[in-house]
Amino acid sequence: MKRSPLDANASRNLIYILPGLLVYLALVLGPIIAAIGISFTEWNGIGSPNWVGFGNYAKLLSDETFYVALKNNALFMVFYCVIPIVVGLLLAALVWSLRQREQFALRTLLFLPYIMPTAVLGIIWHWLYNPAFGPINQALKLVGLGSIALPWLGDFTFVLPAVGIVASWYFFGFCMVLFLSGIQRIDPSLFEAARVDGASGSRIFFFITLPLLLPEIRIALLLTIIASIKSFDLIFTMTRGGPANATLVPNIYMYELGFQLNRYGYASAVAIIGAILVFTINYAVHRLVRPVNGGSAS
Amino acid sequence: MSRNFHGIGAVLPSRIILWLFAVLTVIPFALLILTSLKSRADLIQGAFVLPAYPHFENYANAWIEGHFNVYFLNSVLIVFPVVIVSIILGTLMGFSFAFLSFPFRRTIFVLLTIGMMVPTEAFIIPLYYEMRYVGLINTYAALILPQIAMSLPFATMFMASAMQQLPLEVIEAAVLDGASRRYILSKVIVPLMLPSMSTLALFLFIWTWNEFLIPLVLVNDDNYRTLPIGMLFFQGRYTVNTPVLTAGAVIVIGPLILAYMLFQRKLITGLTAGATK
Repeated sequence: MKRSPLDANASRNLIYILPGLLVYLALVLGPIIAAIGISFTEWNGIGSPNWVGFGNYAKLLSDETFYVALKNNALFMVFYCVIPIVVGLLLAALVWSLRQREQFALRTLLFLPYIMPTAVLGIIWHWLYNPAFGPINQALKLVGLGSIALPWLGDFTFVLPAVGIVASWYFFGFCMVLFLSGIQRIDPSLFEAARVDGASGSRIFFFITLPLLLPEIRIALLLTIIASIKSFDLIFTMTRGGPANATLVPNIYMYELGFQLNRYGYASAVAIIGAILVFTINYAVHRLVRPVNGGSAS
Repeated sequence: MSRNFHGIGAVLPSRIILWLFAVLTVIPFALLILTSLKSRADLIQGAFVLPAYPHFENYANAWIEGHFNVYFLNSVLIVFPVVIVSIILGTLMGFSFAFLSFPFRRTIFVLLTIGMMVPTEAFIIPLYYEMRYVGLINTYAALILPQIAMSLPFATMFMASAMQQLPLEVIEAAVLDGASRRYILSKVIVPLMLPSMSTLALFLFIWTWNEFLIPLVLVNDDNYRTLPIGMLFFQGRYTVNTPVLTAGAVIVIGPLILAYMLFQRKLITGLTAGATK
C-alpha cells in the first residue's frame, strides 16, 4: 500500500485503532476464544470447569438429538434458501418488464419484512397460525377448507414447513431486490440482441439472465444458508424447537443445554460446531459457485 | 427507451403474480394493524371483520399495563448509545485501516472479519459469564457494550471502504496547509463522510432495535427489557389478549416502518449492496 500522507509512526497511530479494538477484543473475540475453551470442559456454570478434551465433541457424535437438530436445519435450508432464491429470481425476471414506478412500488412492499425483527415476526406468525382464532385457519374455514385447518405449530408433521414458510416469506423480497439490482447491471444490448435473434422470454431468462446473475445468486446463497444456520429468533418465538424437537435446530439446542440445563461445556461444543459450519459453508460457496466471467462482483 | 419489451398484453399475467406476492407480504402487517384496533368482542366476529369503531385503548393498554412504555424507553436508551459510540469508534478504526500503518494490521483485519461471521449464539455463554463476573447483568451497560462491540467490525469496514473512496487531493491539500491529523479527520474527512455515516447509523439502528438474543440472555429484570423481548414476555403473560398483543407489535415495528418510509431508497440499496461486501 502506498503510504498515505496522514500516516505517522505506529505509536501515534495506535490511539485511533486501540479504543475500538479493545472493546472488540473484550466483548467479542475474547468470548469467542473462551467459548472454544469451555467447549473442552464439563461445566455447570457454578463450580470450576472440568477439562474433558474432545469429550463433548465425541459425545455429540452419538447424540441423536443433535442429529435431529442438524437434520431439521438441513430441511430448513429448503425454506431459507431454495424457495426464496427461486421465487426471488422469478419475481425479479417478471418485475423487470414493468414501468419504473410500479417496479419501485413492488420493490418497496416486497422488501418490507427484511427490516423487521425476526423475533417479533415470529410472535406475529404465532398468532396468525393460532388453531382456534388465528386468521389463517379462519380464512381456510371461510373458503370451505375447514378440514385442513390444522393446529399448524402443534402438528409434528407440519410444524417445520409452517415455520419454514415464514423464513421464505422473510427472504424472498430481499432476494428479488438483490437479483433486480443484478439484472440492472447486465448490458441491455445483450437482451436486445437475443430478442432480435428471436429468442423467447424463457430462453432469454435461462441462457442470459440466469448465468449473468451468478454473482448475486452466490451472495443470496451465502446469506440465506448462513441465516439458516444462525436461525434462532424466529424458531424460538414460534415453537421453541417443539413439538417433540420437530423444529429443533443447533442454536435452540445450544440455548436449552446451556441456559436451561446448565450444561455449558456441552452447549459450547454445539455452538462451536455451528460456527465451524458457518465458516465451512462460507468457504465452500466462495469456492464452488463462481461467476462465469471470473470477475468479483462482491 | 422502452423497458416494456413484452408489450402491455403479455405483462398482465406477470403483474398479477407480482401483486399477489406483494399482497402476501403485506397481509400479515395489515391484519396486525386491523386487529390492534379491535375490541375482544370484535375479535370473536372473525379475523377479517372490521370493528365498529377503532379501539385505540388497546394501544394505551399495551403502553401502560403491558409495560411497552418501559420497553420502548429501554430500546431508545440502548439504541442511541450503541449507534453513536459504534459510529465514533468505527470511524476511528476505519480511518486507521484507510490511511494509517500499525502493527498486525492484517491480523486485526482478519480478526474483525471473524467477528462478523461468528454467530452471537456461539459466544453468548462466555459473554453472559463475563457480564455476570463484572456485575453488569440487569444493567443498560450489559445491553449497550456488547452490541457496540458486535457492531464494530461492520462499522469499521464500512467506514474504511467509504474513506478509501475519498479523493486523495483533498487530504493532500489539507496536509500541505499544515493542518494537524486530528483537525483533518474532524474538519475535512468527517464532514465528507456524513452521508456514509447516516447510512451506517440507519443500519445500526435497525439491527440494534431488532436484537433479540443479547437482551434475552443478559437481562432478566422486566425493567431492562427492550421491545422485542418485552413483547415475548408480554405474549407469555397475556396469551388471550390478542388486540393488546397486536397493538404492542405495532409499537415495536412502528419506528421501523417510519424509518423505512423516510429512507427506503437508502435502506433498500444500502442493505442489498451491503450484502455484497
